[in-house]
Amino acid sequence: MAHVDPVERKPFFHYRPGTPTVTLAAPGCSFRCHYCVNHRMSQYGRDQESPWTAHPVDTGDIVAQASALGGCVALSYTEPSLAPEMTLDLARQGKEAGVDVVWKSNGFLTRAAIDLCAPALAAVNIDLKSVNEVSHRRFTGGSARPVIDAIRAFREHGTWVEVSTPLIPNVTDAERIAQVLAEISTDIPWHLVRFTPAYRMRGQDPTSPSALAAAADLGRAAGLKYVYVERALGEAGRTTRCPSCDFPVVRRKVWSLDENRLVAGRCPDCGILVEGRW
Amino acid sequence: MTSFRFVESLPDLIQPDEYDAHPDGRLVRIHISVTDDGVEILGDAFRPEVLEEILGRLDAGEIEQMLCG
Repeated sequence: MAHVDPVERKPFFHYRPGTPTVTLAAPGCSFRCHYCVNHRMSQYGRDQESPWTAHPVDTGDIVAQASALGGCVALSYTEPSLAPEMTLDLARQGKEAGVDVVWKSNGFLTRAAIDLCAPALAAVNIDLKSVNEVSHRRFTGGSARPVIDAIRAFREHGTWVEVSTPLIPNVTDAERIAQVLAEISTDIPWHLVRFTPAYRMRGQDPTSPSALAAAADLGRAAGLKYVYVERALGEAGRTTRCPSCDFPVVRRKVWSLDENRLVAGRCPDCGILVEGRW
Repeated sequence: MTSFRFVESLPDLIQPDEYDAHPDGRLVRIHISVTDDGVEILGDAFRPEVLEEILGRLDAGEIEQMLCG
């Protein structure tokens, strides 16, 4: 499928705010997260009720569509690292047209796969569900260590990295995750996502706004400069504030840009550089 | 059998300021309208499978769904 929506939906908050994004997805994922809202696509190959629904796309047409919108191409909804040749082809054609390619990924990649794909990617949002190996394996089927290593490796390549964490009530150790991210870099934007009871975790309750607010506080206490909650905490939860003077530099509506006050990536009030690809 | 079609966007019927009033996520909101093509049922819920079951029991031939990401 190919959908068009703002880059904030992936979510990216520090990569070209408001950019229209042509999003592609093919069935399949290297994880089997018990709460996956997209399981009808992501769990193709595991679940009988996840049929093959893909159809071929012309990468040249996709790049042309993104170029006409002044936008980028995103591979999201399922796991893009399953088809690196698609990313490489989009990036090759996109380079000529001035169209970036970005990923929403589970980050479960080998170093060789990252070395292959990172030069083709302008930005990656990686889901970090847990930093506890037992918990991560239980909920995703895979190890956490490669995901943490991928966050570091993509950054080393110069790819812009943001991280998302679904906050599962009484399960997610937000404090420890924030500490691990802060050890990599306090510049990494951290998106706290409200848990949706779905798929094989229908018995849980959704995350409360107060739990999301508490986790955001833990993120800031760990030193992370940019912590976001998209909807549950209102506009304040999705506003980028200058880490030096607290001036609101980027304001957002739900899943879209409202106002970008940055001047060449700097706070208009105090002049400090706000990390991102603006 | 109900089939699913993934779409770019659907209107929200539940707003974030309602989250606190429904901590167990049991709220379901349905909007039914008559269109030129028949009857359209728009739904929103904290628990997607609850909404899918409701629409399935109404014999919906196709359910449109948004994806995460």
